[in-house]
Amino acid sequence: MAVAQSVPAESNWIPSTCGMCLHGCGIRVQVRDGVALKIEGDPTNPDNLGKLCPKGNAGLSRLYDSTRVLKPMKRTNPRKGPGIDPKWVEISWDEAYGTVARELGKVRADDPRKLLCAIGDFQRILLWGWPAVFGSPNFFTSLGNYCGGSYHPVNGSVDGSFAAINDYDRCNYWIQIGSGDGFSSHLHLSGSAKRMADARMRGMRVVTLDPRMSVAAAKADEWIPTLPGTDRAFVLGMAHVLIHELKQYDREFLRDRTNAPYLVKEDGYLLRDDEGRAMVWDMQLAAPQPWNAAAPADMALEGAYEFAGMRVRTGFQVWADQLRDHTPERMSEICTVSAETIRRIAREFVEAAQIGATVEIEGKTYPFRPAALNYYRGSQSHANGLFDNLTYKMFNMLVGNIDVPGGHLGVPLDHRGFFIHEGEDGVLKPEPHQLHPAPPFKYPPDSTHLMEWFPIGFDAGQLNTETLLEPERFGLNYSPEVMLMYHSNPLWNLPETDKVEKIMARMKFVVAIDIQRTESTEWADVFLPDHTYLESYLLNCLEPPAVTGHSLRQPVVEPVGDTKDAYEILTEIAERLGFRDDWNDLLNVVTGFTANPKYLLDPEKRYGVEELWDRYARSIYGDDKGLDWFKEHGHAVRYRTPEETYMPYGKLRIPFYFEFIKRLGDEMQQKFEQVGMKDWPLDNYQPLPFWKNSQVIEDGKAGYRFYAITFKESLHTFADTVVMPWLSEVSEKDAIHGGILVNPITAENLGIQTGSRIRLTSPAGSIEGQAQVVEGIHPEVFGVSNAITRHFVTNDRQKQRGSHFNRLLTGSMRYTDSATGGLESSARVRVEKI
Amino acid sequence: MPAANISALGATRKMLGFSRRRVEFERATVAELLRSLGTVDGRSLYDNLVCEGRLRGDFAIVVNGLSLKSDQLNKPLQGGEEVVTMAILRHLHGG
Repeated sequence: MAVAQSVPAESNWIPSTCGMCLHGCGIRVQVRDGVALKIEGDPTNPDNLGKLCPKGNAGLSRLYDSTRVLKPMKRTNPRKGPGIDPKWVEISWDEAYGTVARELGKVRADDPRKLLCAIGDFQRILLWGWPAVFGSPNFFTSLGNYCGGSYHPVNGSVDGSFAAINDYDRCNYWIQIGSGDGFSSHLHLSGSAKRMADARMRGMRVVTLDPRMSVAAAKADEWIPTLPGTDRAFVLGMAHVLIHELKQYDREFLRDRTNAPYLVKEDGYLLRDDEGRAMVWDMQLAAPQPWNAAAPADMALEGAYEFAGMRVRTGFQVWADQLRDHTPERMSEICTVSAETIRRIAREFVEAAQIGATVEIEGKTYPFRPAALNYYRGSQSHANGLFDNLTYKMFNMLVGNIDVPGGHLGVPLDHRGFFIHEGEDGVLKPEPHQLHPAPPFKYPPDSTHLMEWFPIGFDAGQLNTETLLEPERFGLNYSPEVMLMYHSNPLWNLPETDKVEKIMARMKFVVAIDIQRTESTEWADVFLPDHTYLESYLLNCLEPPAVTGHSLRQPVVEPVGDTKDAYEILTEIAERLGFRDDWNDLLNVVTGFTANPKYLLDPEKRYGVEELWDRYARSIYGDDKGLDWFKEHGHAVRYRTPEETYMPYGKLRIPFYFEFIKRLGDEMQQKFEQVGMKDWPLDNYQPLPFWKNSQVIEDGKAGYRFYAITFKESLHTFADTVVMPWLSEVSEKDAIHGGILVNPITAENLGIQTGSRIRLTSPAGSIEGQAQVVEGIHPEVFGVSNAITRHFVTNDRQKQRGSHFNRLLTGSMRYTDSATGGLESSARVRVEKI
Repeated sequence: MPAANISALGATRKMLGFSRRRVEFERATVAELLRSLGTVDGRSLYDNLVCEGRLRGDFAIVVNGLSLKSDQLNKPLQGGEEVVTMAILRHLHGG
């Protein structure tokens, strides 16, 4: 193994950035004689404070994994299918590129939309636009959509953030719903776990809702087991208690900092004057006034009023009226949590929120609301995910805790901070799309995942399981013929694996860019091996909850094999296909070079990976902080200031009544009617959330008695890490990863013991596995660890260890949020002992 | 005579036939600047990018780092501006 140029022969610690999940903690890697020996958290990086999760600690076992693909390969077996050996043969890069350029070039000349892409490398987000420059709108994966399909659009619509977290430093009462934040997963785990531990030490109380006794539940003051997809009922019940029983909510916040006092007509739209200004009810004048003409103290927050023969209500009143029948008793029947508990938690929460309190931070006075509800995948990755997310945000709004000390804080996508633009009526402009602009409505659609039909959604890759097999149902007038997978595994991460196999069987050519063989790369014709994160460059800043600024990923050793950086691979293919100039132009846009044209890439020139990141660094931090500065210092990460964290949008209001969602839905209905499509579901385009049953609940009436969920702990992210020997070995020693979890009461009723073989059957498919009887799971729920979901791995120890949970899920619109495209991540199942 | 630096990306680069150029102009608004730029199809860049007085939704113009709203084409130019024109790609992927 060659010695890396920058690494002396003696032992040396090199600063870099972890690549074992998307968030990128600061690391330092001990290297001696060109061999990486150990990885630790970088103690100088305030993001992770020297801490590192198990995945980060195990990074060496990815770098030196004996099953890594170290040279380009082509398949020699023309037959494709599950379990069929591709009979890989190593080839030169030139031959590999030549084959890929020839096959992709044919499609590009015919109809570039026939390229289907699956890209799952979150840290290299700058490269995601490559297919768009090729000319294809198509996206095939669901990797992020499981978690963020509804979550990100709602965060962006509320305060221009991308994610959210409670204030670790000042929160005193933390409700955690379906999330591992601070305990096992989600935002920047290593640093967040330290911040959570510190908060607990100073006495913060944690109440966790989860169907399973997760780490967050086990370490909480109180664990409240609930049914999957019903967390919203629990929170709607609490909102009912605050509004109708306790009558405690932050009237000043709702009146002055949201659009809750704006008047709503019976048709659901805001009352506006001739100049289009939203109106409020002026209690002094007993008449409507424009929102910016009435004195705040005179604005009515509550009430229904008659005006010009119309009945109008404030936005707050509309939701209060909707919640009138969402009593704790009714919500209890849905989520199985007692009405008494719903009332008690609501009371504890509002008391802890200290409505009316203020705090001074660095000479500035802020509202102080040290109680907040935090949530993520488990509580909102459901077919009514938009309602879930809106409910949690609005419950927080009731105590006035959004973006204030102690409360529920927006987390920006990256170093650019919150997306802050003034929208209508003094309200922050909703930014549901931050990864790319929404394509306008089109029929027939261009994209196979129907992105043109989701104006507030992300990329609903799961819909490919329907559209590609029945394109005529959706008006699609072409079918993809070739596929590019870049660090993505659609055969694992999409629902309905059988359908995905059929789709992949139709592809005339498949190229994979990856590090290791996966279920999906076994269908590839050419495999182009990528560097690992310990061999490559990148500047990373994604969803940092407490800090901002980039951390440098840099090679700590020479590449172990004949691999290349994915940027170089995609650039070479673009060059051979004749669109490197457009590729440079796209990079100019996504890097933000357009804001500082002196850094613009010349379309006629090819840039190496170091030159690209050097320009990127200098464009953000100035010419004295290019790549060389980052190589030496490792990162430019710093704590966010109070001004960047608390109400960074100043006096702009945030939406409480989401009129723009209703308007988009009505516009979509008109557009669908114009093209003669009357049956497309649009029922979730609602301005306010309420309870309605999802298809999963309805499936229970068809004999699918139990629920099935999947979960992960800090050992794993997506499914990549499941194949890593160190992590796999640790997983095997923990009973929760030992099989399909079942509650003892249920196990006894079904005659199941630990070790029994059982089959779970959902409307979509079935999986088999061995039962693991544990107390820590709701009696109506079966749990499958993410650690046992891979059905193909290159490591013999792990083959067939578990069950591929995603086979239980369905990719159709019935299991998709009709507004956001977020998909349902739980399933109803029948269970039998086999 | 005032001048601005024009950087043209993607489709606008192909329309104009150059990627970067210093352009002098007599009348000082973004709209007039666009009218002064001829494209390979014989029309002006304004004719290609503007519809009924508003910037088309599939294009963007950045002046000194700030994106123009579609109705801001009458923004005055003083000279020395960095103007970037580009087509918007709406099918970048993510989720």
